[in-house]
Amino acid sequence: MERIYVHPLPVRIWHMINAAGMVLMILTGTQIRYVGLIDVLDFKAAVNWHNWIGFVLIGNYFLWLLFYLFSDKIKVYHPELSPVKHFRKSFMQMQYYGYGIFRGSPNPHQVSAYEKFNPMQSMMYQVVMMLLLPVVYFTGILLWDVTRFYGMVELLGGVRVIDTVHVLAYIFFVFFVLFHVYMGSLGHTPTAHYKAMFVTGYEEVHPQHGEETAAVKTPAA
Amino acid sequence: MSSARLPAGLTAAVASIFLLFSTGLNAAELDPAAALSTADKQCLACHGSEGMTKELPGGAKLSLHVAAPDFAKSVHKALGCAACHSDIDPAKHPGVQREIKDRRAYSIAMTAICRQCHDGAFKQYEASKHANLQRQGKNIAPVCTDCHGSHAVTPKTAYETCVGCHAADMKSHETWLPNAALHLEVVSCAACHAPAVQRMVDLRLYDGAAKQWIVEADGTRQFETLAKSMDTDGNGLDARELRDMVRQVNDGNIAGSKILRGRIELRADVEAHQLAEKSQALRACDSCHRGGAEPFQNVTVSVVGPDGRPLRYNAHKEVLSSLLSVETLRTFYAIGGTRTELLDVLLVLALLGGLAVPIGHQMMKRIVQRREKAAAAGAPDAGSENKNT
Repeated sequence: MERIYVHPLPVRIWHMINAAGMVLMILTGTQIRYVGLIDVLDFKAAVNWHNWIGFVLIGNYFLWLLFYLFSDKIKVYHPELSPVKHFRKSFMQMQYYGYGIFRGSPNPHQVSAYEKFNPMQSMMYQVVMMLLLPVVYFTGILLWDVTRFYGMVELLGGVRVIDTVHVLAYIFFVFFVLFHVYMGSLGHTPTAHYKAMFVTGYEEVHPQHGEETAAVKTPAA
Repeated sequence: MSSARLPAGLTAAVASIFLLFSTGLNAAELDPAAALSTADKQCLACHGSEGMTKELPGGAKLSLHVAAPDFAKSVHKALGCAACHSDIDPAKHPGVQREIKDRRAYSIAMTAICRQCHDGAFKQYEASKHANLQRQGKNIAPVCTDCHGSHAVTPKTAYETCVGCHAADMKSHETWLPNAALHLEVVSCAACHAPAVQRMVDLRLYDGAAKQWIVEADGTRQFETLAKSMDTDGNGLDARELRDMVRQVNDGNIAGSKILRGRIELRADVEAHQLAEKSQALRACDSCHRGGAEPFQNVTVSVVGPDGRPLRYNAHKEVLSSLLSVETLRTFYAIGGTRTELLDVLLVLALLGGLAVPIGHQMMKRIVQRREKAAAAGAPDAGSENKNT
């Protein structure tokens, strides 16, 4: 079993804050949207929590952004530029999750510090981090004070358009969180990825081609 | 996307409607006083003079000036001077003058005249905070003419009327009400400060390019004609009919500058008189921010009429939650209260999908492993594959 340091401390801190924040945003957002159907928290309190947690998450997003902008680890987000290669690898990954994993087949993606995402994760996280989170934060800021940002709200089509985009992103994140939590349990043990992402930073990987080593690979940076 | 188009002739008429919704002046607007009755003109021959005053006991002066153009544009122009001032005998006037103690006392006394026609409004007012203060002798308490004016009575919006005295109170909303300025813009004061009223949403046509409300030209009934032509089944405008109406107003371009701006108002404007104590005003957010909230159960579409009063046409309440509202009601949205139903369906699907993935995946795992086990039992050498993940 090989241990590879793939989740640096700033990324783990960002992820912890993000995980707690996104869950709380979904819960408070659900309360705000469904008063009457769900009455756990007072509407005004839910709005206040939603706003404050939102600002924390926006700040946290910049922690993530700055870390990767000033680190060579940004390579983990580099897209595979060859579509044929990307789809071939994605297909193998789908085959693994759809069948191979049940039979104990090896994961076709070999994790390393600079290639920690499999092709499907890579695509998903690029969309989430570069598109969906900025969109949900931006629309959230506009909705936080519609009067202050009246000009921008009008330019983008009006408050209902902004809200619809915000809610569509929320709906996606409801699915994403459930999906993400489950996928995180599919390591070599159900808690392996959780330990790595929240505590140690080290992923435990079975070496390919039967090369067993006791060495622990430590991060270059 | 279908569009309910008008017959060619009617289309031309409708197209001209909104060209006529303009600020163009007609002869009556140039000299509105010309349309007054001879009797009224006789009164205004003297009272139309600026600076005409009456000295009251104590030395104060009461203005007796009536601006003829303003009176001629007021909602009371058809009644004429004598309707409210029937105590004046033209044969003896101005020789015999009425004794007036002070301006305030005169205003209070004149409320009896208002009541002769506006008894319903007066009854609402009598139970109000304003009436209570007036009965307590507070001179600051408004009576009819303080809000509505005496001779230039026009259908002011409630907001303008309230702000006249409560400008400072507007600011105080910011201490507890999130997005206070927005709330004050889209919620009529009385909708919260008269808690017993019935509310509704009024969607009013607004010209975003000209930055002004669309006003119907006098005597044309253009808005009603347009609304009826869109309301093909005659039961009020549904979401599709409303979308077609907005498109028609914008010459076929749904994203045009003429938009519907929504506001929570009272179903019966007269109920605005029953203003309650401040402590009784609605403060609960979920009065509006919940599905099925009372204000969203009734919807009207309107334009400003020639006299300033809204001309309304009924719409279905579903126009607020239809997906089409993203096009037609771009600027009106109350979180929780007017949420789009289709998004609720998508949320349920996202939840089910998020739960179906682990359940489905684990079921697949069991099926595959059971088959593997069965295969291994059938062929003992077949189950020796590496268990790496």
